[in-house]
Amino acid sequence: MKPVEAEVKTGKTESGKKFFFAKISFPLFGYILKRILIFIPTLFIISLLTFILISAAPGDPAETMLNRTSGEGQASDRLATERSYVALRHKLGLDLPIFYFAPTNLAVSDTLIRIPIKNHREMLDRLTYQYGNWAQIENYYHQLKSLEFAIVSSKKDSTNANALIELRNTAAKFFIHHEDVVLSALLVDLKNQSNVAANLTEVKAHAEAVATAYGKMKTEATTWEKYIPLVQWSGMHNQYHRWLFGEAKWFGTETDPTLGRGFIRGDYGVSFTTKRPVKSVIWDGLWITMLISLLVIIIEYIISIPLGISLAVRKGSTYDSGVTVALFLTYSLPVFWIGTMAIFFLCSPDYIEIFPSFGLGDAVWSDGFFYKLGDLAYHLTLPLIIASYASFAYLSRQMRGSMLTVLGQDYIRTARAKGLPDNKVIWKHAFRNSLLPIITIFASFFPALIGGSIILEFLFTIPGLGQITYAAVLQKDYPMILTNTMFAAILTLVGYLVSDILYAVVDPRISYSKK
Amino acid sequence: MAEATTLKAKNEQGYWAFVNKQFRKKKTAVISLYVVMVLAFVALFAPFLANEKPLICKYKGETYFPVLKELAVGFGIGEFQPQFQNVNWKNLQYEMAVFPPVPYLPMNQDDNNIHSKGPFDEQNVPSKRWKHWFGTDELGRDVLAGMIHGTKIAMTVGIVSMLIASVIGILLGSLAGFYGDENFQVSRVRLWGNLLFLFFGFFYAFGARSYDITDALGRGLGEGFVQLGISVLIFTTVVVAGNVLVMLLKKIPFLGKQIAVPFDLIIMRVIEVLNSIPTLFLILLIISIVRKPNLYVIMGIIGLTGWTGIARFIRAELLKVRNLEYIEAANSLGYSNAHILFKHAIPNALSPVLISIAFGIAGAILTESTLSFLGLGPADTVTWGQLLSYARQIPQAWWLAIFPGFAIFITVTTFNLIGDGLTDAMDPRLKQ
Repeated sequence: MKPVEAEVKTGKTESGKKFFFAKISFPLFGYILKRILIFIPTLFIISLLTFILISAAPGDPAETMLNRTSGEGQASDRLATERSYVALRHKLGLDLPIFYFAPTNLAVSDTLIRIPIKNHREMLDRLTYQYGNWAQIENYYHQLKSLEFAIVSSKKDSTNANALIELRNTAAKFFIHHEDVVLSALLVDLKNQSNVAANLTEVKAHAEAVATAYGKMKTEATTWEKYIPLVQWSGMHNQYHRWLFGEAKWFGTETDPTLGRGFIRGDYGVSFTTKRPVKSVIWDGLWITMLISLLVIIIEYIISIPLGISLAVRKGSTYDSGVTVALFLTYSLPVFWIGTMAIFFLCSPDYIEIFPSFGLGDAVWSDGFFYKLGDLAYHLTLPLIIASYASFAYLSRQMRGSMLTVLGQDYIRTARAKGLPDNKVIWKHAFRNSLLPIITIFASFFPALIGGSIILEFLFTIPGLGQITYAAVLQKDYPMILTNTMFAAILTLVGYLVSDILYAVVDPRISYSKK
Repeated sequence: MAEATTLKAKNEQGYWAFVNKQFRKKKTAVISLYVVMVLAFVALFAPFLANEKPLICKYKGETYFPVLKELAVGFGIGEFQPQFQNVNWKNLQYEMAVFPPVPYLPMNQDDNNIHSKGPFDEQNVPSKRWKHWFGTDELGRDVLAGMIHGTKIAMTVGIVSMLIASVIGILLGSLAGFYGDENFQVSRVRLWGNLLFLFFGFFYAFGARSYDITDALGRGLGEGFVQLGISVLIFTTVVVAGNVLVMLLKKIPFLGKQIAVPFDLIIMRVIEVLNSIPTLFLILLIISIVRKPNLYVIMGIIGLTGWTGIARFIRAELLKVRNLEYIEAANSLGYSNAHILFKHAIPNALSPVLISIAFGIAGAILTESTLSFLGLGPADTVTWGQLLSYARQIPQAWWLAIFPGFAIFITVTTFNLIGDGLTDAMDPRLKQ
């Protein structure tokens, strides 16, 4: 209570206007600041949740981006593709551990994640699970790699052509199998095939090395290691840290332009599909979605508040019951159905064509301002109607309910008893108090609109946040999905904040200063 | 004594009888209840209502019940006779056959009526008996059959996902509401020990046996369950052994000190985080990391993202209940907190949750059909949303836009009306 009083006092001595300002806004600003501070950990947890969910996704992004062909072709080609693959993985940070720490066991090595190829990683993980001795497993893997290299780089001639093809196929199988039965059989195959031609001595030597390494891995197995739990600490060098904070310097100019600046510094990474920065796509979408959401909210409140009041005032009349039933039915109409029907019957040349069925208009930069505005309005009319009808039904019902509750209060009866006209009772005494529940709804309303943007923008092909997200989900474009989800969460939190502030403005009884 | 028990019985009956009476007063709610019954009937008997196999047939002198047999095969307790394997059921020469009312399956194409034939278009069918009453889609699949089988999907999704959501919601919500931040007291060693042993239990039971379990599951469900059973056994052993150890360590004063677990704080933070991500975005995020979303995955996702409303509901209810006299009485009688929570507090707070479950079923059905409409729903079945989405591709096929959408609308509305009716019926203000 003290700081407020002090503020009031100083305000009073200076001017009346400042006094008012100090009285209202000092605690409110403090409150807003406090709320924003609370948002930070919430956002942090959301980022953690979404990031970890995304990193559980199947598939190898680097592989998808390169459209890698399987290991055919010349040795030099193969080495080149592998090198570019490794470089891309490094650029995307996929060779880093996912998080600051990870629960694991003694057998698992932290070098496993650096193995470039996904199948190989899985095979090595299996071997670790079976034998637990990482040093020997790594040795076995290196022997396999050099065998493969020896096979592709040995000279082809008429005597060994068939043998080389067979050898290559056998060697490839080693990289995807971990079962002892299969591998033993493959080792026998390898031995036989390398004996076919005389000029395969080098390959033969490598095949023997693989066999020894395999035997050693089996005899020196340390399976017990996987029963010792371990928390692996990876430090700041991990994917999450890299995504959120970036690697570039925080102060001063960065000399290396390839280093990312991280999500909180406005660098959202590169889209997997378009290979363009996510940032360039997302801002436009964000503005469109926000514009539509704000317009929808304004329309809904403008319609539903008077409607709800008029229903409450005429409670029990046929008007009331009729409209209430109609509102209930509208509320239950699925948006995507009504949207489809509207596009079907109002935008198609087969039936009635009064609205455009997709997009935000075909105006270009050179068109006049009013033409652009008109075009936008023409294209937005139907989407706005479709987006507002369901929640305006819900809002009106709520408004009616809260007005009825307020009208049943004692002070309204008192107001009526002292002879105030109906109009005055409703607008002066009941109205402001009945607004409170409607404002609380705003908090749950805004996220619903952001979520609903996916359907609406899908229906009308509007390039907003929802449509971008939908396309990204179809194409499994994870940086895009991640950024969109984060922005949807941020918008939601802003919505909560706005509803808190509105609440404070409407209801003077609510004090945000500490008692 | 006898008087007391009869009084108690009367009172208990009294509440539900009252709710029932109030509910019956609302005509729309009662009608909705009947509509739900019809929907449940259609869902349960979908294979008998729309199927390509005859209900009963006489073939080469013997009588068969192919639809019943199909159900038995589905449950794994039977096999089709060799002469019926890989046959087109429609082309068999029956001596006598009774087909279901809709003689089509939702996934199978009618090659004579491809390119979406409408109900009023001329259809290439032998007689009215074989007419596609609700038309066909682009591939010639019967829309009515799809709607009948879609009812099954919609009802299953609504009920199962709400079941998941209510179990999570009721459990977490009641923990938060009943214990608050201070009322759950445990000794230090029990809290930290249990967290540690849960980790160890999980590590030895599932972490260190991960590939054993997945391999066994890959070989077959039976073997998988055996391995999972072993894992659960290991898990319980570790946790139980840990708690025995905790009992001994509790004697040390420092470790035995009682501390409070702030359930309310933790659970409310979790709810806040979940509510901060728009549900559809969260669901799409999860779908994007699932390889192939089938029906079970969709139900799981909707259930896992939909429990926060129920949790808040029951939390608010328990905040009221825990200060009532009968809880105090139970406390002074020396019952344990857990006993009071599960035996006295939750049952009394549960009835209002019915309201949010009714609305929740409507919401779950709507979410599933939205996902299907977006082409992200279960890929292995026909759903209403999926049928509706075909309408976007064929502007002439109004029957694809109207019928499935109407089915969604009716189902969602009935569950909403039931929720509305329950809200009014359980309103305590009416009781006076």
